[in-house]
Amino acid sequence: MAAIFKKEIRTYFTTMTGYVFLGFFLLITGFYFSISCVFGGSSNFVNVLSATLIALLVLIPVLTMRLFSEEARQKTDQLLFTSPVSIPQIVLGKFFASALLFFIGIMITSVYAVILSRFGEVSFAQTLTGIIGYFLMGCCFISVGLFVSVLTNNQIIAAVGTFAAMFFIFMIDSIAALVPASTSANIKFIALIILIIAFLIYNSTKNIYVSLIFAVLSAGAVAIIYFINSLAFDGIITKVLGWFSVLSRFDNFNMGIFDVSDIIYYLTFSAAFLYLSINSIEKRRWR
Amino acid sequence: MIEVSNLTKKFGPHTAVDNISFSVEEGEILGFLGPNGAGKTTTMNIMTGYISSSEGSVKINGYDILENPETAKKHIGYLPDVPPIYGDMTVMEYLNFVCDIKKVKKSEREKMLKEIIDIVKIDEVKGRLSKNLSKGYKQRVGLAQALVGFPEVIILDEPTNGLDPKQIIEMRDVIKKLSSKHTVILSSHILSEVSAVCDRVLIISKGKIVASDTPENLSESLNKGNKISARIKGKKQEILDALDSLGLTNGFEINDSPESGCFDITLNTNREFDIREALFNKMSERNLPILVMKPIGLTLEEIFLKVTEGNASASEELGININNESSEVYSDINEENNHQSTDAEALFDEEEEEKE
Repeated sequence: MAAIFKKEIRTYFTTMTGYVFLGFFLLITGFYFSISCVFGGSSNFVNVLSATLIALLVLIPVLTMRLFSEEARQKTDQLLFTSPVSIPQIVLGKFFASALLFFIGIMITSVYAVILSRFGEVSFAQTLTGIIGYFLMGCCFISVGLFVSVLTNNQIIAAVGTFAAMFFIFMIDSIAALVPASTSANIKFIALIILIIAFLIYNSTKNIYVSLIFAVLSAGAVAIIYFINSLAFDGIITKVLGWFSVLSRFDNFNMGIFDVSDIIYYLTFSAAFLYLSINSIEKRRWR
Repeated sequence: MIEVSNLTKKFGPHTAVDNISFSVEEGEILGFLGPNGAGKTTTMNIMTGYISSSEGSVKINGYDILENPETAKKHIGYLPDVPPIYGDMTVMEYLNFVCDIKKVKKSEREKMLKEIIDIVKIDEVKGRLSKNLSKGYKQRVGLAQALVGFPEVIILDEPTNGLDPKQIIEMRDVIKKLSSKHTVILSSHILSEVSAVCDRVLIISKGKIVASDTPENLSESLNKGNKISARIKGKKQEILDALDSLGLTNGFEINDSPESGCFDITLNTNREFDIREALFNKMSERNLPILVMKPIGLTLEEIFLKVTEGNASASEELGININNESSEVYSDINEENNHQSTDAEALFDEEEEEKE
C-alpha cells in the first residue's frame, strides 16, 4: 500500500494535476478570504471553507479522474494487479494519496486562520472542527470520484461522471424537499427498489427463480408491515435521500458542533464507496 | 512448477480459452504459438492473476492463483503484450517503484537493479523519462520489470514485439540465459522465434491446444511421407524417361527451372525406401547431372498453418503431403540458403503489418 501511495503522490507532482489542484484551491480560498475576512472584517475562517464548497465540484474530479482510468488506459493496471499487492491495498493507497493532497491544500489555507488570530478573535475549537469536517467531507467526495474512475478508462468521462455524482449530492436536499410524502408514493418507491434489487440478483446469478423468490418474499414482507402499521413507510424517500446528504452534515461542523455521529457518517460514506470500488474491480476480473 | 488444469475463460457467449491443461517443469522454456486471437494472451492473463478463469485452476509452485493470489504472484514476473510503463517516471524511478510493489528488500535492491539493467542493456537510458523511449527500449524496460525480484516463473507475452532484428537476437539470448535459473513461458506468433528459443511448443488455436511437442519433434513427425526436390540438367524428355524407368509409385512433378537448361523435379517418396541413391545412379548412368538434391521438410511455418487453419482433425492429416503447392514449396526451399535474412525480412513485414 505504501508503494502505491508514494507513487500516486509523486505522480501528482510530476504531472500537472497536483499543481493545478493546489493552485486553484488556493486561488479560490484566497479570493474568499480576501472578500469575507479582509474586506468583510470577519474573523470566521470556517466561513471561507464553506464558501469554497462549490469549487470542490470541479476540484475533486481533477484529483480523482486519473486514479484508475489512466492505469487502465496505459495498461499499467496489469502491473498492479499481477503484483503481490491486494486490490484493497491498491485502492486504499490511491485514496490516501488523494486525501493527502486535499489535506495539504487545507493545511496551507489554515495559515489564514493564524493570520486572522493576530488581528482578531479566532475560535480555535470552531476552526479545528470546521477543518476536520471539511476534510472528512472531501474524503467522501474523493471516494465517490475514485469509484467513478474505476468504472471507466477515459479520464474525461471519469471527471464528468464525478462532477455529475457530486452535483447530485449537492442538490439532494433540494430534491428531498420536492418528493411527494404520501404513503402511496413511498410504497411505489419501495416497490421500485425491490425490483432493482431483484434485477441485480438476476444479473449476477442468472437465475430467474432466485430473483423472483426474493421479489415475492420482500413484497410480502412490505405488505405485512404495511397492514400492521400503515404509517411505517411514510417519509422513506426523504430518509433514503438523506443518506446521501453529505452537505447537510457539514452544517454542524460549520457551526462548530463536533458530533461523533457526523464523523462516523462521513467515514462510513467513504468506506462504502471504497468498498464499491474494490468490488467492481474484482467483478471486472471475473467478467 | 506450473500446473494448469481445465482452464476455461468465457467472455459472454464467446469462449476465449477452452479447457486447456498443461504443466511446465522447472527450468523449461515453453512457447505458446498461435495466430492472433487464439487465446494466448488470455491464458497468460489468467495465469498471472490479472483476470480470473471461468473454470479450471492455475497453480504456481503449488499455490493457487485464485486462492493464494499474493503468494502465487510473488513467484511470477509478467511482461504483458503492452509493457506496463508509467510515462511520467524515469526508468530508474519506475524500476524502484516495481521493487516497492514487489517488496524487494532495500538492502538487495541496488545490486539486483544493477544486474537487471545489465541483462536487458538499458544502462544508457536509465535516467530518461519512459514516455520518450523507443518501442524497443520500452519493451526492454518491460522485461526488466518482469525480472525484478528474480521470480521463479517469468511469463512473457510476445517479448520480441516491436524490436528490430538485432534486438530480437539479443532478446532471444536474454531469454535463453534466463532459463538457467527461471522457468520461462513466452508467446509468439513468430515461429522462428519459438523454434529458436523454446524447449517445448504448445500450438494454440481457437482457445484449444492443438499440438504440443518439442520444435524438432513437431517438424519430424510431420515430415513422414517426405518429398525430395532436385534440379537436373538435361532435356525434359530424357529426364522424364529416366524417372519413368525408376518406377516411381507415388508420382512426381516436373517444372521449368530458373536455371537455363535445367528442370526442377519434385518426387513423392515413402519412408521405407530411400530413393536418393537410386535417383543418383540412374541420372549418372544417363549422363544427366543432378545439380541440387534436397529433402523437403515441413517448416514450422507450414506446420503452424496446417494445424491452425483446420481444427483438431487437422492434426491427423498432418502425415499427408502438401498437395498442389509443390512449386511454391520448392521456391521456399531454394531460399533456405539465405534463411537468416529472409527470416529477418519476414519479421519486419510482420511488424509493418502490426503497425498498420
